[in-house]
Amino acid sequence: MKAKLFYLLPIIVLTGIICMGTMPAYAAKIRVVATFTDLADFAREIGGDLVEVHSLATGVEDSHGVPMKPSFVPMMNRADLLVLVGLDCEHAFLPALIEASKNPRIEVNRAGYVDCSLGITPVDVPKTTEHYAGDVHPYGNPHYMLDPVLAKTAIANIYNALVEFAPQHKAEFTRNRDAYLAKLNAKITEWERETKPLKGLKFVSYHEHWPYFAARFGMDFFGTIELRPGIDPTPRHIEELIAAMKAAHVPIVVREPQFPEKVPKRIAEQTGATMVTFPVMPGGVPHTETYIKMMDYIVHTMVAAAQARK
Amino acid sequence: MKIMVAFIALFMLLWSSTGVYAETLEDRLKTLEEALRRQEQTIAEQQKMIEELKAEIKQAKPPATPEAAAVGRPAASEQMQQEVRELNEKVDRVVEAQRKTLPSEFNPSIGLVGETIFSYTGRGSSQTGSDRPGGFDAFQRSVELNAAASVDPFAKAYVVANASADAATGESTFNIEEAAIQTTSLPWNLTVKAGRFFAEFGRLSYIHDHELPFVNRPLVLDQYVGGESRTDGVQVNWLLPVEHYISLTLGLGNQFGGDVPPNNVGDYRRLGGWNYWGRLSSYFDLTPDISLEPGISGLWNPRTNGRGGPLLQPDGSTLTERERRLVGADVALSYKPLRNNQFQSITWGTEVLYSNNHYDAADSSGNVLPSSTVGSLGLYSYLTYKFHRQWSTGFLFGFVEDAQNNKAKAYEYSPYVTWALSHWNQLRLQYTYTDYNSASAAYGLHSNNAVYLQWAWIIGSHAHGWQQR
Ligand SMILES: [Zn+2]
Ligand SMILES: [Zn+2]
Repeated sequence: MKAKLFYLLPIIVLTGIICMGTMPAYAAKIRVVATFTDLADFAREIGGDLVEVHSLATGVEDSHGVPMKPSFVPMMNRADLLVLVGLDCEHAFLPALIEASKNPRIEVNRAGYVDCSLGITPVDVPKTTEHYAGDVHPYGNPHYMLDPVLAKTAIANIYNALVEFAPQHKAEFTRNRDAYLAKLNAKITEWERETKPLKGLKFVSYHEHWPYFAARFGMDFFGTIELRPGIDPTPRHIEELIAAMKAAHVPIVVREPQFPEKVPKRIAEQTGATMVTFPVMPGGVPHTETYIKMMDYIVHTMVAAAQARK
Repeated sequence: MKIMVAFIALFMLLWSSTGVYAETLEDRLKTLEEALRRQEQTIAEQQKMIEELKAEIKQAKPPATPEAAAVGRPAASEQMQQEVRELNEKVDRVVEAQRKTLPSEFNPSIGLVGETIFSYTGRGSSQTGSDRPGGFDAFQRSVELNAAASVDPFAKAYVVANASADAATGESTFNIEEAAIQTTSLPWNLTVKAGRFFAEFGRLSYIHDHELPFVNRPLVLDQYVGGESRTDGVQVNWLLPVEHYISLTLGLGNQFGGDVPPNNVGDYRRLGGWNYWGRLSSYFDLTPDISLEPGISGLWNPRTNGRGGPLLQPDGSTLTERERRLVGADVALSYKPLRNNQFQSITWGTEVLYSNNHYDAADSSGNVLPSSTVGSLGLYSYLTYKFHRQWSTGFLFGFVEDAQNNKAKAYEYSPYVTWALSHWNQLRLQYTYTDYNSASAAYGLHSNNAVYLQWAWIIGSHAHGWQQR
């Protein structure tokens, strides 16, 4: 009998060690890495004290060109959830970072890979997969987060992922989400009211960031300074854009802060339009640290610019 | 007794393996069922909400003429209608998403890279040491086919096939540059790669020609590494489980570098005849915009057994390589302003290599001379300044002491300008002055000027690899 126990002992010890290794550490927070600051903001709102959230972008970067810093790798290596915009928005930096971070939890199609575009029907899907259509929007326009109603899809996706990862905290996640949605819905009503005078307002921007935003608030997204998404304008394209803007009396030029000011400014001067600078994610310009603050900033700046022209 | 034990062991093995199989299959079915159930539930929930909202709207809006309703419609019901529309859209999307299938689901992603180099070199190939002719030249350096896909949940594989014209015959030769399998789900932050691949050594030797920041590989890499660090073997990479980025790579293979034949061909090769290499690299954010990336590398082949055959020296004597040792240190300092990184950046990269090879020597009539160990030093350093989304410019300096005769020295000076119309279409203009000292001249090498115009393109699928950071 004693001999048998002696043989069993290592098995028991080994099993114990394996169980301990796979057991979740109770005190530890759920580690979330988001690609952009807006998704990080949502993850913090829904996860509350239960999550520890990092964002790869600080807010000022081009959403298609966040530098691939090796310092992201240890952070992603430990992540439980990786929250991303999807639709290939992060194509230039995320796949390589995922591979380098050697974390099977956050690989494509794993539970920790939280693609917030699930449920979004993208606009401007190129009719061809050839690069003729441009550089960075192969699955259609990925900038749906600038429509606060569509941003709720991201909230739903993050919520679902958190619940799936930690079902024991579902009640708290639900409470947090509902509280945030109530706040956001109230804001959406406010933004819709504030933008009512802007119905039909034409504007151009540097990059194709704004079709979802324009559709939501009934504005007319006239065109981009870029030739195609991710492709710099040619002199001829700028000429044609200026002519078209003059003919259509486009009053606003939106410049995203990650693009140089020179060209948008020149276009605004030559067409008599007003140039405004809009962030495309929280933190892009000062006083836009959260998603709601950012949308507030965009709506108020747009309304002020349009009214100043009257 | 032995048979009994074997039988029990076999039975246990079969039992456990079928158990595992059934479990995974069951798991997968469960997952599928779960996913389906969840989707159905979502649709049902959304439908329910639509119905509820519709009901609410009906209540809020007593039957009236459409006009009256439009005029007197309370804001609340307007919002509700909006929400109903949103929900309807959402339901449509869910249905749509279920219908969508990926047309290329079972194909690997395939891309093709082409690269043409137009050049003018002031001297003939006998005086430049290059296999390209002097004077005016057009060179289709590569037509490179890349294919990559996951193999199964545990590994992915990729192939890089390259066709390039032979300088002497003009014949295109097609060869497999890389073909390797790599694990994707090993525990403890490990990755194993096996097959033919570019070994991780130094900073630029595992980067394909067309991805270099300049037209040609620096002299020191051509000399000491043999161009690209191609090998047939196995490599293990470990990401250290610490807060700071530290990556360690160790590998072994039977050939290292693309330009020389493997050693011991047709002979009996012991493990001492293999190449062993390693690399340790790290990364520091000095400020959000400035980063420092240092690394050290080593390569050792204890018994090269005359790799490349007897090497003829200017005085008629020969050297036969017996042992190959190479160490390197590299550093990259880069300034990438977060906000403007697509439009502006500065990268300064430097790599210093020390080669220490052991040779058997013989005089011109074949008499054995005392064997020798030659230590030689080489380096390259470049600075690239990006000042526009499409434009960058830079300067490359290179220096190398010959690995067989460290008195023979060469220097290279190359300013270059790159115009990247998009990331699939890039033109580069480079001027190179190569300066050989008198000991090099004894090998027939002469200082020369060259101008290169490189045009590189990509069609099909492409990936932004980790090396491109
Ligand atoms: Zn790309
Ligand atoms: Zn975009």
